[in-house]
Amino acid sequence: MILSAEGLVKTFPGVRALDGATLRLAAGSVHALLGENGAGKSTLIKILTGVYRPDGGRVLMGGAEVHLAGPLDAQKAGIGVVHQERNLIPEFSVAENIVLHHLPRRFGLVDRPRMKAEARRCLDLLDLDLDPDMPVAGLSVAQAQLVEIAKALSVDSKVLLLDEPTASLTGDEADRLYGIVGKLRDNGHAVVLVSHKLEEVFAVADTVTVLRDGHTVADAEPLAGYTQDQVVDLMVGRAYASVRLPERRVDPETPAALRLREVSTARGHRDVSLSVRPGEILGLYGLVGAGRSELAKALLGLDRITSGTVEVHGRPVRIRDVGEALRRHRIGYVTENRKEEGLFLDQPITRNIGVTVWRSLARAGLVTERAERRVVEEYADRLGIKASSPRQLAGQLSGGNQQKVSLAKWLAARCEILIVDEPTVGIDVRTKAAFHELIAELAGEGLALLLISSDLPEIVTLADRIAVMNDLAVRGELLNDHDYGRMSQAIIRLIHGDAR
Amino acid sequence: MSSPATTAPETARPPETRRPPRIPLWANPRLGLVVLLVALVVLFTALRPAFLDTTLTLVPLQSDISVYAVVGLAQLAVLSLGHMNMAVGSMASMSAFAMGLAYDRLGVPLPVGLVIGLAAGALLGALAGLIISRTGVNSFVVTLAMDFALVGLITILYTRFTDGVAFSGQPAGMTTLRNDTFADYCMGEVCGPRIPLIAPIALVAALAVGLLFRYGRLGREILMTGANEKAAELSGIPTKRRVLQAHALSGLLAGLAGFLLAANNGAFSASIGDQFLLPSFLGPVLGGTLLAGGAVSVLGTVLGATLTQVIYKGLNLLQFQLDELKLYIGLVLLVALSLDRIRHVIGERRGARA
Repeated sequence: MILSAEGLVKTFPGVRALDGATLRLAAGSVHALLGENGAGKSTLIKILTGVYRPDGGRVLMGGAEVHLAGPLDAQKAGIGVVHQERNLIPEFSVAENIVLHHLPRRFGLVDRPRMKAEARRCLDLLDLDLDPDMPVAGLSVAQAQLVEIAKALSVDSKVLLLDEPTASLTGDEADRLYGIVGKLRDNGHAVVLVSHKLEEVFAVADTVTVLRDGHTVADAEPLAGYTQDQVVDLMVGRAYASVRLPERRVDPETPAALRLREVSTARGHRDVSLSVRPGEILGLYGLVGAGRSELAKALLGLDRITSGTVEVHGRPVRIRDVGEALRRHRIGYVTENRKEEGLFLDQPITRNIGVTVWRSLARAGLVTERAERRVVEEYADRLGIKASSPRQLAGQLSGGNQQKVSLAKWLAARCEILIVDEPTVGIDVRTKAAFHELIAELAGEGLALLLISSDLPEIVTLADRIAVMNDLAVRGELLNDHDYGRMSQAIIRLIHGDAR
Repeated sequence: MSSPATTAPETARPPETRRPPRIPLWANPRLGLVVLLVALVVLFTALRPAFLDTTLTLVPLQSDISVYAVVGLAQLAVLSLGHMNMAVGSMASMSAFAMGLAYDRLGVPLPVGLVIGLAAGALLGALAGLIISRTGVNSFVVTLAMDFALVGLITILYTRFTDGVAFSGQPAGMTTLRNDTFADYCMGEVCGPRIPLIAPIALVAALAVGLLFRYGRLGREILMTGANEKAAELSGIPTKRRVLQAHALSGLLAGLAGFLLAANNGAFSASIGDQFLLPSFLGPVLGGTLLAGGAVSVLGTVLGATLTQVIYKGLNLLQFQLDELKLYIGLVLLVALSLDRIRHVIGERRGARA
């Protein structure tokens, strides 16, 4: 064992985040660290990187106990980490970012040739052909991610922790990243992979540790001995039946609530035709960068539509902004980017949900707290938003509850057409299932739903029809028979259609 | 939705889950201001009993507080967006010029001139808001440039239309507004309190602004735009219009402050507003309004303005020189802000532990 953490205990006010958790890593392996949100993964990582000090237990590196009192101690012990959030300085060059914390110096000045050589060495470890002098701001998301890994390796890390490394990468980029992870394993590194994407985990990892409620429920077991369902069972802690969604039937004769006819946009979408009926879920599948969110935003008037028509309930419309989409056509858009675009993190839940209904609640321009609270509580109850009070700040909620708040404001505004963009990104397994039920339920009530997702199982579970988008155009549409194997193949074929 | 669960009695809910998370009382910046205010009043009175002299101190103090509370509100109107209005002073000045011109040349009655002046202020604010929302240039830069231009324009205008300093014509009622208090108006034996006539004007302005940001749809939408402009736009708020409106409100309140100061000084002069900029930030910032936008405190702004004027008056009575006054006001601001930050951090830690 290159690293073993034993009996870790960490208590926060009112919460025991870790309660005797164990993590054992072997050199030359990829180790998956799994668990639902709140299971203790982040706390464990923060202990290993010296951010938190454990209340109990110990950490051994190569058999010797290490005391990690701060991030520098962790670096010295040989533990590197790549966090979910980017930690690069955009204005600095690739080389400066990589060796930021141990700049080679000569006569008190930065020794630039040595800095570049050092950065080059780290980039070579990853087979990365990047100019070390290039500013980080000019890199793609995937490249920046790899630079972060190079930065973590620059301190000679034997253990590398990757927290949700593919959250913002496309499929190809993720494959490339995992290729590099494989190479690091072959070089004798121990790589810890934290990810919500079980398919990826199963493709890459050798061993797995599963945390639940601060305990280790699977301790460095070979992953080959498990199926995905078994791992989910371990994470959730009860036999997890894959969601049975209520049967819905949409009369194919029902006129479309929203229809796009050969819509082209200033962003470069070409002749997109789509339609969705009341009570129906149209899945819009595509990889990151296919132009799905951008299409939704053009629909809402945030980008220019250059040709083609948009029809709402059969009538051609011209939508200039979100307010008009909402009030005149009852169209809502739940953004994929909830923290930046969906929520007011420093504002209470009441304001976050109330923002779309003030106009209808206002009497002589004034909104009473009572009227607002009545509406807000109705929808908070209905979606099961867990908060200490309606006045709690949105930023203090868990990811799942934040997403519910971001959805609630559109339901409160009585939308009839709802565009839901990547609704379960970064949300744990159990909440995800609840969300799927909710979305199906909304469709059952007669909402027309356009579900944008790059999560294949999600699309196949929920959608009635699936439109596949790639490179700013719709490549084809499929009637979903909910057979995952067949549907996923058909979808992938559509995406790569013109390439083969 | 017809679920049987909804018929369950409301009382089933445990009460403690309903309680909003309260910050401890002592961490409330408004309370700190009140305590500081009382302490200073006691101190100044002990050192100079004349501090409680009504005619000499308290009446002029109330007039000054009225003016500078409205100046603070003018800044607060755009701080709500996370913006700044560096042209509060020159907007007030332009507004006062418009009023002076109307009274002097057109001979309009007092309220009509006031409306003209407020409209001029609002128009200038709207112009700033328009430029900011159209070009996306930082509000600080836009209003700073505007201030520069307006200061020049004001000098030109006063040279052209007056003796170069102030208008000579005044509407009927101006002297009354300046000199009288409610004590001068009696119903039989009962006379009003010794409060200057302009105080209720400032009070009404504060109440109106408070109402707007707390319950007004417009005010709330302005705050949401300040909290997260992108999210506000994606929630259906016409953010550009809200930016324009907030700046127009700022200009209007600056105009009102200009009017109140002119009423206090007894003249519509070119110097109105040239001392407004720093106090306009002092009130809101001392009162706990965030520079980042998304939250405002009207009560805090009024208290902050009161505190500043009390310090000013007190030190003045103790015969400090003008330069010393500025030094001490600056120091008080630094101390108050540091204390506020410390209180905030401790409050957060307490809150997290609770």
